[in-house]
Formats: sequence, structure tokens, C-alpha cells
Amino acid sequence: MGLIEKSRIKSPWILHFDNSSCNGCDIEILACLTPLYDVERFGMVNMGNPKHADVLLITGPVNRRTARVLKNLYAQVPDPKIVIAVGTCASSGGVFHNCYNVLGGVDKVIPVDVYIPGCAARPEAIIDGVVLALQKLASLRGDKK
Amino acid sequence: MAARTTVPFGPQHPVLPEPIQLKITYEDEKVVEVVPAIGYGHRGIEKACELNEYTKNIYLCERICGICSYIHSVSVVEVTEKLWPVELPPRVKYLRTIWAEMSRTHSHLLWLGLLADAFGFESMFLQFWRIRERVLDLLEMTTGQRVIQSVNVVGGVRRDISPEQKKTCIETLNTVRKESEALIKVLTKDYTVKSRTIGKGVLTKEQALQLGCAGPTLRGSGVREDARLTKYDAYGELNYEPVVEEAGDSYARALVRARELFQAIDLQLEALAKLPEGEIAVRVRGNPPANEDVMRTEAPRGELFYYAKGNGTRNLERLKVRTPTFANIPSLLVMLPGCELADVPVIVLSIDPCISCTER
Amino acid sequence: MMENLKAITKDELLNEGEKLLTGGAKFITAVCRDLGEQLEVTYFFSLKGGTEMYPLRYTVNKEEEVPSFSQITLATVLIENEMKEMFGLKVKDLALDFGGHLLLAQDSPVTPLLKTTGKTASKGGD
Repeated sequence: MGLIEKSRIKSPWILHFDNSSCNGCDIEILACLTPLYDVERFGMVNMGNPKHADVLLITGPVNRRTARVLKNLYAQVPDPKIVIAVGTCASSGGVFHNCYNVLGGVDKVIPVDVYIPGCAARPEAIIDGVVLALQKLASLRGDKK
Repeated sequence: MAARTTVPFGPQHPVLPEPIQLKITYEDEKVVEVVPAIGYGHRGIEKACELNEYTKNIYLCERICGICSYIHSVSVVEVTEKLWPVELPPRVKYLRTIWAEMSRTHSHLLWLGLLADAFGFESMFLQFWRIRERVLDLLEMTTGQRVIQSVNVVGGVRRDISPEQKKTCIETLNTVRKESEALIKVLTKDYTVKSRTIGKGVLTKEQALQLGCAGPTLRGSGVREDARLTKYDAYGELNYEPVVEEAGDSYARALVRARELFQAIDLQLEALAKLPEGEIAVRVRGNPPANEDVMRTEAPRGELFYYAKGNGTRNLERLKVRTPTFANIPSLLVMLPGCELADVPVIVLSIDPCISCTER
Repeated sequence: MMENLKAITKDELLNEGEKLLTGGAKFITAVCRDLGEQLEVTYFFSLKGGTEMYPLRYTVNKEEEVPSFSQITLATVLIENEMKEMFGLKVKDLALDFGGHLLLAQDSPVTPLLKTTGKTASKGGD
């Protein structure tokens, strides 16, 4: 394992994207950053720029307007990348399944590696999910440039 | 004349956790024109509410917004109850008031933290959110969930507050008040905070009324208006007077929320002390009759308006939701022109925008 | 039941509403409803610190043009745009026209809240 692979797992940078969620999962992700849960102890930093990110953390169901934005963001995150769907809506569309403007879960648009269920997903569950994603990230090699 | 540049603010912007786009035209550093572009969070909940049975609407409507979700569930439940109408036991009214004020406490703490973050005061952001976790613990203890409570049903509530829980609530609320007082002192006295907010984004009383603003945005401009004055739930029996500030700038709106935070704690303590004994739900028979009614409640961000029309079947004929941010977005068109580029995030945040509410 | 409900015609809307606003009222929102052949539009105003409410209601045929209240106050501009794209209500002279894409995307169903388009527009589930 090279230096880059090793450091990627020790300090994954995260990009959070809100599709059209109810905010419940979003504030729980923010709560993860605050003193009680403090994900920065795992080296995770929340970034605003997709080109800096290793992990894409997505909340909410995909709707017709955000589908394009989401594809665009996914394309900008450099390889190897991990996509995490946070919450029931991001996993399957959830309670919004029969709304006319909702396409469904995130996996309708881009491939997803880890699903975190819950409405809203608890901070503990989100941390667990990210740690699980890191194990997968460790097995991926940055061959694709 | 200086050259004009149009810059999109959003939909992904670090200060906004949610997608909203403002197309802002600048002349050098000064904002001259703002056009909001929304729709990134539109799901189509109003239509789905017509297709679902009325009992399922509760779970859909409280997911309109994850921050003020409790007030959404109170509103949809009470507008449906008004169609029969259903007479509620007094304990239900008090329990709903307690939880509503509890969610106001957590929402205002959240907003105060985001405000601190917007002007780069990160340690204050983290401190406010640390206190907020105590309120979430109370919500979890009494309702079973941190964020989306799902505790209301048509005709009552699903959980009760036991005497032991009541004791913990009172202790925790007193701690929250003590810790918040120390932080609010920083907010009201600190030079940095004042220089970033005083005189920024001024909205006069006349403009606020004319533009139909709601909640702290309206009360920060000196208008005494609050849906709690309609005395729904237990508010008629509690000692309640709206918080009003006169200045109409971002600082005044922050002060309104800071004072409402303590008021919400006082209301919870008062309601817990007066909590009457009795049933926590009544049985409601049949489908919603073919009546129409409205329900106005005070969400943390302002007045929430629900309109419902039944048709005698299990589905509602029409359910309309007007959320506070929907009413407050026009005020940005007045507040932003004339301000500087660097002040845009603070002013946008000062109306406490909740986009998933707005677009449903 | 709703208090103070006043039935008006679409041409009286601007006068009646302006009278309320000069009396210190605040616009809350408007609600549109599909009656089959017609559309029913209700404008809600609040007065006296939010304790009293004045709804104004008119009914029009679906193809009729209606005036926009946004000429008087910008407060109504979002909801009138919304009624236009959700119900196909023909509001003319909007102060700020989003052209039917305030909330809906390019490939969203058109006028989704009408009863006739509703069933086909919903996808999945039951």
C-alpha cells in the first residue's frame, strides 16, 4: 500500500450533497461534526468542493431537477470514490415514493456503495456507515486516473 | 458607471446546507438586483397528500421539513381534526405545546449556531450545537426520535410524559437555559458579532407588512404578530406575549430568536407544571367530512398555514401548505440590494431559510 | 368552517385586496382548487396581529385570464407563479414571471395538481 492509499483512509474528505431531502439527515450529518459525535477524530473533513473529496455523502430522494446536478458532481469527484446514501429517502425514495417530482433513490442515477437506513439516520449510524465505506475504499486502488 | 456582473449564489453554497439559487447582480461590490430561483427541493407532497389516505398524510407532512417537523405534524393533524371537529382532551393540548416549544428551542439553537458559522465564528457554532444535543436528548426520551418525532395521530398523541421524564425535562431545561445565557451574552455584547449584523439587511415595518413576512423576520421589524395569539393548543392558558424588536436589521432578527429561545424554555416549564391529568387520545370515527378549514400555527421560522378540504372519503380533496420561508423570500428582494457581497450570506441566513419547506 | 369568507369576482380582487392592505392587513397566501370545469381561488389576509383572517374567493373557468395581485404587492408573486404552473391558472401581468419553472423542472409533469393529470403523473407504489 502506497503512501497515498494509506493517507486516504486515515483522512477521507467528504462532500455532502442535499438532493431534496427534508433536512432531517442533513442536520444529523452536521451534528456528527459537533463536539458530541466529533467525526474529525477519524480524520474526516467536510469539504465544499467536489474535486477535493473522496467520499460523496448524499441525502434525500433524487428529484427531476437535482438528478442532473448529482451526475455532474459525481463526475467531478476524483477516483477512487465512494458514494454513501444517507437515510431511507436516499436509499429508496422512502416516504416520497409516489410524489410526481421524485425519481427515487440515489441509485437510480449513480452507483451507491453504502446505504445507511433510518429516518432520520442517527449520527451513530452515519459514523458506522462512513467507517464501513472506508474499508471498501481501502480495497480500491487509485488505478483509474 | 461601474460594470455590472451577475453571479449565481448557490444552489450549492457552503453557508447553505440546502439548495437555493439567488441570481445576484453586482455593481463592483454592491448588490443591485436579486432574482431567486428555487425548485431544487420540489417533490410534490401536496399531490401525494391527495393520493394517500388522510392518516398517512401525517408521516408525509412531517417530512416536509426535518427541523420544524413537529409543528408540521401538529398542523396537519389539527387541520384534519377541525374538519369533524374533534374535541381534544386537555392533556393532549399541553403535550403538543410542550413538544412544539421543545422543537422551537432546538431550531433556534441550530439557527444561532449557523449564524455564528456564517460570519466565521466557528467555536460559537460548535458551542450552540453542543447545547442543542441536550434538547434532542429530551425529544428522544419523550417521543422516541431525535429529529422526526411521529408522535401525533388524528385525535391525540401516541406517547405520554411520565412523572420521571417530567423531572428530567425540568432539570435539563434549566441546564440549557444556564448554558445558553452564557453564550447569548457573547452574541449580544461581542464587537465582531455586532459589526457583522447591525444595520445589515434592514427591513422596515411597512415593508415587512407589505411583503407578507412571517415569524421572527416580521417581529424583528416591530410588528406584533404571532400565530400563537390565536390561542391554539394550550397557548391560551399560558403566560405568553410575542417577542418584538424594532430595528429591523439582521441583529434585531437574531435578538428576537435569542429571546424566543428563553421564552420557549419558560413556556415548556410552565406547561410541564400545569400539565393536566387525563386521556392522551380520543377515538375518531369515519372519514373526514366534506368541510374545509384552515390551521395557523407558529413554527420556529414563522407562521405555518395549512388548508384542508375533505370530501367524505379516506382521501382529502385538497391539502395546501404555506410555509414561513415561502412568505419570507420576497423580503430578500428588498433587503439585499445596496448591501455588499460579503454580507450576502449573513443577510440570507437572517431570515432562517428552510428550502425543503418552501418547495415541498 | 372558515370565518369572514367573502365571495368576489375576479375583477374585484385588486380593489378588495388593496382595501384590506391599506387597513393594515397582511397577505398570507392563496389556495387554488380544481372543481372540474372551473378553478376556485382563495386569497387569505390576516388582520389584528394575526388573530383575524379575511379570505376572498373567486371562481373562474379554466381558460379565463385572471389579474395578478403582484401589481400591488410582491408578496403574492411566488404563490401566483405556483398556481400558474400547478393548475394552469392563467395569471396575467405577473411582476416576476418564472415561466412555469418556479418549482417544476423541464421534464416534470405539466399542471400536476389538476385532478385529471394527477393519477397518471404519480409513479410507482399505489
